[in-house]
Amino acid sequence: MTAGLADRSFVGAHLADLEISRAWLVDPVSGREGPGEIVVTDGVLEAVTWLEGVEADGVDASGIIVAPGFLDLHAHFREPGNEDAETVATGLAAAAHGGFTAVCIMPNTTPALDEPSVLARIRDATAASGSPVTLLAHGAVSVGRAGEQLAALGELADAGVVGFSDDGAPIRSASIFRNALAYAGMLGLPIVDHPEDATLTQGAEANEGLIATVLGLRGWPGAAEAGAVARDLAILAEVVGDVPGARLHLTHLSTAASLELVRRAKAAGLPVTCDVTPHHLALTDEWIAGSRRWSWEALEDNGAARDPWRDGAITARPFDPSLRVNPPLRSAVDAAACLGALADGTADAIATDHAPHAEVDKAVEFGLAANGISGIEAALGVVLAAVGAGRLPLATAIAALTTGPARVLGDRAPGGPGPRGLVEGRPADLVVFDRSASWRVDADTLISRGKSSPLFGRELSGCVLLTVAGGRIAYQAPAEA
Amino acid sequence: MTTVTDPALAAPEDMAGSIADPGVVAGGPGSPANAAPAGRWSHRHLLDVDVLTADELDLIMHTTDTMTEILARAIPKVPALRGWGVTLLFYEASTRTRVSFEVAAKNLSADVVNIAASTSSVTKGESLIDTIRTLEALGARMLVIRHATSGAPYLAAEHFSGSVLNGGDGWHAHPTQALLDLYTMRAHLAGGSVAGRKVVLLGDVLHSRVARSNLWSLTATGADVWVCGPATLLRGFEAWAATGVAGARRFTVTSDLGGALRDADVVMALRIQRERMAGGLLPSLREYAARFGLTRERLALARPDALVMHPGPMNEGVEIAPDVAAGTQSVVAEQVANGVAVRMAVLYLLAGARDGRARDSGARDSGARDGRARDSGARDAGAPRTSE
Repeated sequence: MTAGLADRSFVGAHLADLEISRAWLVDPVSGREGPGEIVVTDGVLEAVTWLEGVEADGVDASGIIVAPGFLDLHAHFREPGNEDAETVATGLAAAAHGGFTAVCIMPNTTPALDEPSVLARIRDATAASGSPVTLLAHGAVSVGRAGEQLAALGELADAGVVGFSDDGAPIRSASIFRNALAYAGMLGLPIVDHPEDATLTQGAEANEGLIATVLGLRGWPGAAEAGAVARDLAILAEVVGDVPGARLHLTHLSTAASLELVRRAKAAGLPVTCDVTPHHLALTDEWIAGSRRWSWEALEDNGAARDPWRDGAITARPFDPSLRVNPPLRSAVDAAACLGALADGTADAIATDHAPHAEVDKAVEFGLAANGISGIEAALGVVLAAVGAGRLPLATAIAALTTGPARVLGDRAPGGPGPRGLVEGRPADLVVFDRSASWRVDADTLISRGKSSPLFGRELSGCVLLTVAGGRIAYQAPAEA
Repeated sequence: MTTVTDPALAAPEDMAGSIADPGVVAGGPGSPANAAPAGRWSHRHLLDVDVLTADELDLIMHTTDTMTEILARAIPKVPALRGWGVTLLFYEASTRTRVSFEVAAKNLSADVVNIAASTSSVTKGESLIDTIRTLEALGARMLVIRHATSGAPYLAAEHFSGSVLNGGDGWHAHPTQALLDLYTMRAHLAGGSVAGRKVVLLGDVLHSRVARSNLWSLTATGADVWVCGPATLLRGFEAWAATGVAGARRFTVTSDLGGALRDADVVMALRIQRERMAGGLLPSLREYAARFGLTRERLALARPDALVMHPGPMNEGVEIAPDVAAGTQSVVAEQVANGVAVRMAVLYLLAGARDGRARDSGARDSGARDGRARDSGARDAGAPRTSE
């Protein structure tokens, strides 16, 4: 089955009636999963029925799955300023293809989303797109994301942003970070930091370690992330004393060390949350050397990373620029830590860090390529690969795409905190996908304008058949020929 | 010395009717007395030495013997690559590598086009891929590329229908340098082999593509490799040394210069670049010279006949003392001379692999590009080919 650029005239159409019988339902709110049926009438999820006994026979989690619509905490839609790479309309369509019914965009547009008029423009584009997918936004922390002066945080909060971030870049100044954390805390919003000590990553190209050393790529030390996380947590610990509403969300954590810091901070009761990306939990730096195995296939039994050269795992050309991403793909040990953090609740969410780029910015030398993977459409398939390999329970994966990110957003989650479950009586907000069907990731199958992914040519299981947002159709797979 | 069996490598007076047929170079039916291995060449590109087996390295070494023999002739020119467009695309400054490739290609009668990125459309923002396509449209069949970004030749190879030779990319690889180094070592070491010999790569290993390529070729051929330098310039190599990469290809990493030099058979000093001080990797050149410079006193720790090598260009008085660079143990000038022969060998082998493949696919006369390289009608007259 192929997804992709089918007729999209249905987008935004009211979902009149839908009945899905004998599917596997996953409801992270009730914590329940199992065989069941749903009925949507006039756009409203009217009935959720769990099947028992004989009725449930033959229904398992390997076929059609129904889950609440996904919520992405971290995506780049490039409008305004870089519409060659993505627009609000193509980004929302891509999100729906990936099963997402709500997306938080990052403020590194041009101009930056550092005051309400930019948000208004983005909202106009959202309305014009006709997509029923909810667009949420993180406002910039600093004017122009330059890290020197606080952006119009209060005005942005009034305009409805769900958090503040200078993503694309870290908040370099510890002083600005501290003030932003307090001020945003007063407004009841989180600071969403991209933790990176830029003094350690000047010109960095690949995770510092065996792969970067052998390939002669400039090393990007894990300590650049863990050091920044440690700084952020130390400041958070002091700020919460003064500003009880202060909250920190750390996005795209990629190393075992930084996840361990968050684990301890959570245990100590600090108001911190974090997310990991599909690519950091499933891909590793050895892909840059030409390996194409999943992260869990690159681990020794004792938990150490394997040597792809010794294993004969090099099957593709090295230096594929689609693999250049910030933070960089890490070792198999770090990827395992990302999976472990999801399993034990240290990581609250899976966020895609969908970062589309125009071809001219990616089809270049590895070290000159723009950082970023066009990932929102393949996210589910990558996560399901981990589920299929027994590295992540299905319910945990779905929760990390739904209730987990909703909890991070708190009051400003779409529909308020909590729901994002299969809740009767509310407008249908759900995704239906088929784990027994697969699709090939390719330039032709991605709706996003960002046509750069290390997964090109790979078959992923888990075809999204239908995405419904707020009772309206956001994506519908083309009928099979 | 190797017997020349390929008419395309014959001396000019024997050239009549010969064709560009890079077939069996050594160890073929025409050279029964030759001890060369019957290695076969199947690579389309030379991007790094990491993919080369010990047998393939042997084949290159023996082909280089033939080229050395050609270089000793009164007219060191053979028609092996007649009609082949060889383009040198250099995005970084280079003297010896560029000139060496140019001389090598010309000795094989190739048509050489020489491009420095600083004087090309690259300065107008042309991408590497577009540049490659343009050069191909202009007749390039072999492309030698030097680039400051690690991996750039791999991108070029993906978009070029001919052969790409890596003339040095970033910190990553410099395969022809590693091959000429291996050739130079074998020429001097008793038994003509580096197996079991202690080879020290000394200095700025972190930034050195020469060191990385040498690590692959020397461990593949059984040398006891030591890398030595200040801790800041060895970053990451302990992990490489520990895994050995690709099997039992281990080496030793140390900042103890005495331990590294003791009883060494070969000492290769690597260039220290001045910009390393700006990043805080070294306090000063003076301190580097005092602690890690290859001086006569330190060289005395090595075996008395140890070879002194340097990939050039040298900072005399920094990584190597002038009297050592010019001393009797130094083979630096020989490295440069061997560079021509090695590059001739590699160009020749790559051309042969491509001719052979065209034959295998039945595309013998398809396309003007292949036809252009051959003398009319004579192409089946040659010796058996490596790919058959």
